[in-house]
Amino acid sequence: MTDLTTQWLGLNLCSPLVVGASPLTDDLDALKACVDAGAGAVVMHSLFEEQLVAEQMAAHRFIDSRINTDAEARSFFPESDVFAMGSSSYLKRLEQLQSSLDVPVIASLNGISPGGWTQHARELEEAGASAIELNLYDLATDPSDTAITLEQRQLKVVRSVVQQVSIPVSVKLSPFYSALPSFVAGLEAAGAHGLVLFNRFYQPDMDLDELELSREVVLSTNAELPVRLHAMAMLFNRTGLEMAASGGVHTGDDAAKAILSGATVVQVVSALLAEGPSALARITDEMTQRLSAMGYTSLVEARGALSLDNAPNARTWERLNYARLLQGWQSMR
Amino acid sequence: MPTSRNPSVETWGRRGPEVVRRNVEAVDSALANLHEVTVPDEVTANRRRPPTVPEDAPDFVQKVTRLLMEGQGDKLPVSAFPIDGTWPTGTSQYEKRSIAQDIPIWESDLCVQCNFCAMICPHTAIVSKVFEPEAGKGAPDTFEAVPETHTPELVGLDYRIQVAPEDCTGCGLCVEVCPAKDRTQPKRKAINMRPLEDHREAEASNLAFLRSVPDVPRERIPRDFKSLPLLIPLFEYSGACAGCGETPYIRLLTQLLGDRLLLANATGCTSIYGGNLPTTPYTVNADGRGPTWNNSLFEDAAELGLGMRMGLNKLVGRARQLLEDMKSNLPAALYRDLTGPCATLDETAMAARREAVGRLRDWLADQQGPEVNELASLADELCPKSVWVIGGDGWAYDIGYGGLDHALASGQNLKLLVLDTEVYSNTGGQQSKATPMGAVAKFAAAGKETRKKDLGLLAMSYGHVYVAQIAMQSHSNQASKALQEAENYDGPALIIAHSPCIAHGYDLLHSPAQQKRAVDSWAWPLYRFDPRRTPEGLPPLQLDSVRQKVPMKAYMQEEARFRMLELRDPQRYEQLAAAASDAANEQRELYMQLAGIHFEPHERLNNPDTGAEHHD
Repeated sequence: MTDLTTQWLGLNLCSPLVVGASPLTDDLDALKACVDAGAGAVVMHSLFEEQLVAEQMAAHRFIDSRINTDAEARSFFPESDVFAMGSSSYLKRLEQLQSSLDVPVIASLNGISPGGWTQHARELEEAGASAIELNLYDLATDPSDTAITLEQRQLKVVRSVVQQVSIPVSVKLSPFYSALPSFVAGLEAAGAHGLVLFNRFYQPDMDLDELELSREVVLSTNAELPVRLHAMAMLFNRTGLEMAASGGVHTGDDAAKAILSGATVVQVVSALLAEGPSALARITDEMTQRLSAMGYTSLVEARGALSLDNAPNARTWERLNYARLLQGWQSMR
Repeated sequence: MPTSRNPSVETWGRRGPEVVRRNVEAVDSALANLHEVTVPDEVTANRRRPPTVPEDAPDFVQKVTRLLMEGQGDKLPVSAFPIDGTWPTGTSQYEKRSIAQDIPIWESDLCVQCNFCAMICPHTAIVSKVFEPEAGKGAPDTFEAVPETHTPELVGLDYRIQVAPEDCTGCGLCVEVCPAKDRTQPKRKAINMRPLEDHREAEASNLAFLRSVPDVPRERIPRDFKSLPLLIPLFEYSGACAGCGETPYIRLLTQLLGDRLLLANATGCTSIYGGNLPTTPYTVNADGRGPTWNNSLFEDAAELGLGMRMGLNKLVGRARQLLEDMKSNLPAALYRDLTGPCATLDETAMAARREAVGRLRDWLADQQGPEVNELASLADELCPKSVWVIGGDGWAYDIGYGGLDHALASGQNLKLLVLDTEVYSNTGGQQSKATPMGAVAKFAAAGKETRKKDLGLLAMSYGHVYVAQIAMQSHSNQASKALQEAENYDGPALIIAHSPCIAHGYDLLHSPAQQKRAVDSWAWPLYRFDPRRTPEGLPPLQLDSVRQKVPMKAYMQEEARFRMLELRDPQRYEQLAAAASDAANEQRELYMQLAGIHFEPHERLNNPDTGAEHHD
C-alpha cells in the first residue's frame, strides 16, 4: 500500500486529498464526514474583500443612512452596536471548525487591492488558521492596465499578506497568465509557500430569452483537469513552491494524475457537492489502489513522475499546437 | 489612521473599517477642497427666486397653501381655514420638489406599451395615457406620441408615456420593470434614467400639455392589468419614501374606482403621505370629482369606514324613499334610470346614472315642497359609492384588529385594504403581529420568534368575507383581479397587500424581484377567497401560489432585517429560518386542503335579498 502521509505548507497531513474551498464550510456535519472519510485537511470558503466591503456598506446604506432622516421616526431598525458587519462570523466559524475537526483548517482570503483588508490575515491566524490560502483574481478590462502592472499589484498583495502572519500562505491562481513560471518565481520571492492551481469561476452565461447575463454555479468535470496537470508538470522542479491541484478531480485516477504531474495535495470539491462526503472515501480508495498497483510506496516517489522533467515523452507537454501534434504522429510511425 | 477619538470611528466603528475609512476620506476630501467664496458688497444676481407655487394655482393654494409651504403658517388667521374641517384635495401638484437627480425618459421606438412603469410608480410620477390624435395638436415640439398598437379596444388612439420631472423621486423602479430592450444594445430600455437638468424644462411643459389633453371615456379602457394604468389616477405626487411599496396600491384603487371612492384611513404612513398638510395627493378628475378621504385615529379606521358605510346607506335609503314617494309624478324613464342596477365598476351604468341625476335635478327645480328640497340635497347619493378602509399592519393586525373584526362581522359592503409592511413603518419599524418569524425589528431585536398572524385565515373563517392576499410589484395581474373581485362583491372584503418598505433593509429598486422571492418561497402566498363560489359547489379558496419555488432562506437572505440576525446570532438565525420554512409548509398544506374542499351546489339560506341595486 502506498503511504498517503504528506507534508503541505509544513503541515503533516494523513492524506493528500483535501476538501477545497466551497460552501461545505457551512456544513459542519459534512466536513466531519469528509474527515472521517480520510480528508487530509479542510480549506474554508473565502473571506472576500469585496463581500466584507459590500456588507459594511449595505448596512451603512440601508440602516445607518435612515437615521434621523424622518420627522416621524428616528430610525427604522433597532440599535445595532452588537451587529457584526465584518469578519467576525467567519472567524467564529474558523474557530468552530478548528476545534471540531482533527485535521488542519486552512482559511481563505480573496481580494485584489493591497489595502486595509489584508489585516484580516492576522485575524485568521489569531483565530487558529493552520495556513492561509490567498485567492488572487483580477480581471483586466482597462486597456491601459498592462500584464506587468497587474502582476506587480498581485505580488504586492501577497507580500502584504505574508508580512501580516507567521503561518504559511499559499496562493490560488487563475489559469490565465502569459508567463506562469516567471510569475510563480515572483510569488516565491514575495514569501508565498505554496501554489493552488487553479481557481474555478462562476462563469457568466447568457439568458437568450431575457437578453441578459446570468450566473450559475456549474460543478467541474474532469475535462477541466488537463490544464491543471499541464501547469504543474511545467512548474515541477522549476519552483520551490509546493503545489495543490484544484479543479476537475473526480476519480482516483484523476488524483493520481495530479500527483504524477507534481501535486503535493489534491483538492476535491465538485465531487463532494455532487456525491456527498462518501466521494472522498471512494477517491481515496481508487487512488491508493492505483498508486499501489503502480508500485509506489510513498507519494514522494510518485510526485512529478510524469512532469516535464521526468516524463519519457516529455515534449508532448509542449506540443500543444494541433499542426505540430500531427507531425509528431507521423514521425512516431 | 483614524484614532478612537475620531468622531467617524465613534459613530461608524461598529459598521467596520471600510465604512470608517470612507467617512474619514469624505471628511478629508471635503477639507482639502474648501475654497473661499467672496461675498459681494451688493446683490449682483439678476435671477429671482421662483414662486413657491405656480402663478396659475387656485386661489386657496396661493393664499393658504403657499404660506404653509413657506413655513409661514403662523401668519394665517383662523378665518383662512375651512370651517368644517375639510381640506381641498388635488394640491400636491403645486408642490414641486425636484428631488431626483435622474428621471426616466421614454424611448418610444422601443416601447411595447405594457404600462408596467406606470403600474409600479410609487409617486404617479410616470404615467401612460391614450388620447384622440386630434387632442395632441398644438403640443410642445418635444411632445412625442405614437399610435396605440397593443390593445385592440384602443385602436385609433395615440399613446404616450410621460414623466413628471419635478415630482419623480428617482427610485428607478419604472426602469427596473421595463421589459423592452434595444436588441443591439440591451442596456438601453424603453425608459432610461437620464439627468433631470437635461430634461426638466421640456418634460415639465410636456406634462402640463398632457394633463390638459382630455381623457377618453372610462368605459373604453379595458380592465385587464396591462390597461388599468391608462385610467386616470386620482392619487399623485405623495410624500412617501422613494420606492414605497404601499402607494401603488392606493393609486391603482383610485384608477379603478375614480370619483366614487370614499376612504377611511388609519393613522400611519398612509395618512401621513395621504393627508399630510399642506398639500394632499388625492386629486380630482376633469369634472372636478375625486376620492373623499377621511382620517380619524390609528385604531378606529374600520369603525370609521363602517360608520361611513352605514351613514351612506341611510342617505341612500332616504333618497330612494323620496323617489318612491314622487314616483307617480316623475317621468317614467327618469325613475327607471335612477333605480336600475348600477355597479360601481360598471362605467357605462355609472355615466348614465350621473346623467340621470342631472335630469332629476332639472326636474326637481320645477317642483315645490320640502321633500323636493330634501331630495335635491340627497340626489347625488343615487350614484353608488364605494367605501374603502386603508391602513397598515399595525392598524389591521394589532391596534385596530378589534374594529377590523367588527367591520368584517357586520356583513356590510365595506372593503378593507391592509398595506402590510410587516412592521410599524411610520414610527420606525416596531414589530407588529404581521412581522415574520426571524425578522429583526424594534421590540424584536433578537429576531421575532413567533409566526406572522394569518389575518386572511381569520377573516375566511366568517365565510361571508371576500379575502385576498396580493403582491402587485411582482404579480399585478392577480392584484388587479383581486381588487376588482372585492369591489364587485356585495359584502365585506379584506385585501392584504405585500408592501416593500425601507424598514426591510434593502434597495427597493429590487422590490419586484424580492417580492417575487417572498411569493415563491411561500413567505407571502397569493390567494383569493370568494364566498360567491361556495353555493356553486366550488371551494371558495383559490390558491394563486401553489408550489414553493425557492427556499425560504433565498428570500430571507436578501433583506437586512433577517441578515442582521444571521450576522449577530447565526445559530438562532438557522433555527428561526428553519421554523419559518416549517410554518410556510404547514400553511401551504392547510391552504391546499382548503382549496380542495368540495361543496354540493346549494342556495345560500341566509342570503338577504338586496334587491336589484348593489354597491351603494
